[in-house]
Amino acid sequence: MSDLKLTNIGKSFGKVEVLHGIDLTIRSGEFVALLGASGCGKTTLLRIVAGLDSVGSGKVEIGGTDVTDLPPEKRDIAMMFQSYALLPHMSVAENVRFPLRMRRQGARSEQAARVKAALETVRLAHLAERMPRQLSGGQQQRVALARAIVSDPKVLLLDEPLSNLDARLREEMQVELIDIHRRIGLTTLFVTHDQDEALSLSDRVVLMNAGGIEQEAAPRDIYDAPATAYASSFLGAANLLPAEISGGQARLADGQTLAVPAGTGAGAATLALRQENIDIGPDGSLTATVVTRVYLGARHRYILDLAGQRISVLAPASVMLEPGSAVRIGIAPDRIRVLPA
Amino acid sequence: MVRAVPGWVRIGAWIFVLLAALFLLAPLIVVMGVSVSEAQFIAFPPKGFSLRWYEKALNSPAYVDAFWLSLRLAALVTVSACILGGAAAIGLSRARRSGGVVETFFLSPLVLPSIIFAIGLLMVWSAIFGPTSFHALWLAHTVVALPYVIRTTLAVLAERDPHLEEAARTMGATRLQRLWFVTLPQCRPGLLAGAFFAFNISFDEAVLSLFLRNPNLVTLPVQIYGQLEFSPDPTVAAVSTLMILITVALMLILERMLGLTRFASG
Amino acid sequence: MTDRRETWLLLSPGLVLLVVAFLLPIARMLVLSVQGPDGTTLVHFNRFFQDAYYPLVLWRTVYLSAIITLICMVIGFPLAYIMARSTPRIRLWLVIMVILPLMTSVVVRTFGWMVLLGRSGLIASSLRDLGLAGRSFQLMQTETAITLGMVQVLLPFMVLSLLGVLVRLDPRLEEAARTMGCSFLQTLRTVVLPLAAPGLLAGSILVFTLSASSFVTPSLLGGARIEMLAGSIYKNVTQTLDWNFAAAQAVILFAGIAALLIPYLKLGARPHG
Repeated sequence: MSDLKLTNIGKSFGKVEVLHGIDLTIRSGEFVALLGASGCGKTTLLRIVAGLDSVGSGKVEIGGTDVTDLPPEKRDIAMMFQSYALLPHMSVAENVRFPLRMRRQGARSEQAARVKAALETVRLAHLAERMPRQLSGGQQQRVALARAIVSDPKVLLLDEPLSNLDARLREEMQVELIDIHRRIGLTTLFVTHDQDEALSLSDRVVLMNAGGIEQEAAPRDIYDAPATAYASSFLGAANLLPAEISGGQARLADGQTLAVPAGTGAGAATLALRQENIDIGPDGSLTATVVTRVYLGARHRYILDLAGQRISVLAPASVMLEPGSAVRIGIAPDRIRVLPA
Repeated sequence: MVRAVPGWVRIGAWIFVLLAALFLLAPLIVVMGVSVSEAQFIAFPPKGFSLRWYEKALNSPAYVDAFWLSLRLAALVTVSACILGGAAAIGLSRARRSGGVVETFFLSPLVLPSIIFAIGLLMVWSAIFGPTSFHALWLAHTVVALPYVIRTTLAVLAERDPHLEEAARTMGATRLQRLWFVTLPQCRPGLLAGAFFAFNISFDEAVLSLFLRNPNLVTLPVQIYGQLEFSPDPTVAAVSTLMILITVALMLILERMLGLTRFASG
Repeated sequence: MTDRRETWLLLSPGLVLLVVAFLLPIARMLVLSVQGPDGTTLVHFNRFFQDAYYPLVLWRTVYLSAIITLICMVIGFPLAYIMARSTPRIRLWLVIMVILPLMTSVVVRTFGWMVLLGRSGLIASSLRDLGLAGRSFQLMQTETAITLGMVQVLLPFMVLSLLGVLVRLDPRLEEAARTMGCSFLQTLRTVVLPLAAPGLLAGSILVFTLSASSFVTPSLLGGARIEMLAGSIYKNVTQTLDWNFAAAQAVILFAGIAALLIPYLKLGARPHG
């Protein structure tokens, strides 16, 4: 495995600029998630790293070598596709052997041993002679994974590989990916639009927006301390409230005030409040009106009107409030993120 | 069959289909019937039952030679059409957006009557090589068989997973390796179906073979045509029936292997 | 090697074949049609139009082809519609029924018609038995024979053209029309027919072109007396070896087809309301 360095990557398709000024360094063995909504450029960036799309401008370096002008087949990478892309006319074992065969890595016996090891890593050694069409979606995905790790690539690229799986299978595969990464530790770049996936799998999350990097940080940091309103709303359902800060207090649109963390600069700002951090109860310092109650089984989700803004608050199922009634809510100052206005 | 359709329409439809079937298949049935007739002359319904005309056909040098010529020709045409057509289909599938005109050009022999180039081909060939030969027929038949192979192969390629080739690239496969390990296997069902069509087209082809014929170059359809121009005896029917049976066999194999109907419409 | 280079490499053998064995012959034919002993000339074309015989042949070719096309439309549309609305199993058998004659040699099919239509053929003798025809009645060597034979040969082309379009037609459109008060036939006329028009257009162009250019069936069923243009071309090429004249006739034939089809295409390309 190697490190991956992207310098000032830009890319346009025709007149549409898809990526601009991307600078990113991924250390050897790091698992990085490229997170973002459709069209933010994350898949394009991944394909540029793979060499499937050329750069408009900038440089791609893998393990210190400039691979910008190299085609994919010469880059010593491995990629896992959303559609698995298993060769339908070859067995599982032959599929897994394919990269070794194409790169002429080792004698047949050595290749066979590596194939066996890769299949055992994904716990599919018993299906080595089956054809892809005989496998379930989850099994096909694992074959694709085995095929990706067998050649010991410098960089492993994953293009939304779990999107086609149902929820339960997806969770299983996420655990497998974490496990395999821990054991083998390949440098991995993982594209997803699912923030939960990014948070649970990666060492570092790179949030992309409109062709640029919005924020990059460890999962905990990016969730607890999003740098922008976009980051805030993308990761976790956050409520955004405009407010005026002065003297350690935030003044909302309807005049209500609440305490903010010490040292917050004065002026106009946006407060980001997570729905799970807002407490409904008589101790609260703010008043809001209930708009809608949504029953979620273990909890309620309330849509409240606070200072003219709709906000979402989670509460235990035991808390029953009627739409139209007034309610008191509070939030601890250190749970409030103050963002630029 | 059809829902919410008035009763009289439904009955009418069945009768109509029956009549249409009769109309479409009548000549073939007639030919097969005549071939087993015992009588000396051609008559339908046949009188008696006899296989003597088959015997006569199999013993007739004219028919046997024509058969072998048609067989050799069809086999070689199948090979050339599949190689050229397969390559063209792969190329066309890559150039899909900008390839519209080229694709139409390749498929044009499907809708243009073969007489349009039969005349000119004879004239060009005579000017360069003199009398027509096996190679002239091979060339001509390949032109008409080519679009069938292209069409079936393109249809198969259109359904393939576009990521397979990219995946192969990321696994280190060079251009040639991708062609061999990914693209050609993807083409296989289409090439196979195209091969059957090509063989059948060439074996049955009459127009080009008639224009390019010479006394040493008589294909089976040309031989039959020649007999029909004069006074045919039931031997012609026997030979024709054998041709029908070959076609039926090809169709059955095609349907069994690949499902005929997917190539039928469109 | 780049992608483009590879694509061209794949396409070129086929392209070379088509240029050499398809385009070149057509070009040669065009050249021959205006070639005379002293250079370019229109004498071959003149010969065609000044003779009393040949324009008649042309006219016969055109109007017979038109009739054949019309009959194919009338029979082909209901047949294709029934096939499109059948269950897949029945449709499979119907498709086989349509494709089988298409895949047999045209000489074989024509031979079958020769038997059916001849003096001792089934049709003639039945008509005689019913007292509807005289002793020496036969359908051979008539325009009726040519029409019957050609319709049988070309009907599958029309059906397959229409089938492709009709199968893609959502049956719920017809169901919606029925719920809005249209009878079955009205639905066919106002919903199905307009939407099937592209298939009808493509099919009729195909049938007309093939019909006007065919010589095997018309020659065998029509005989020497009733000649179609393609038959005349064949005769001039293989028998009288009058190649310039044959080339001129071929040019006239295809120019005529094109001339008839262009307005027809324009008609079809007109947007329907």
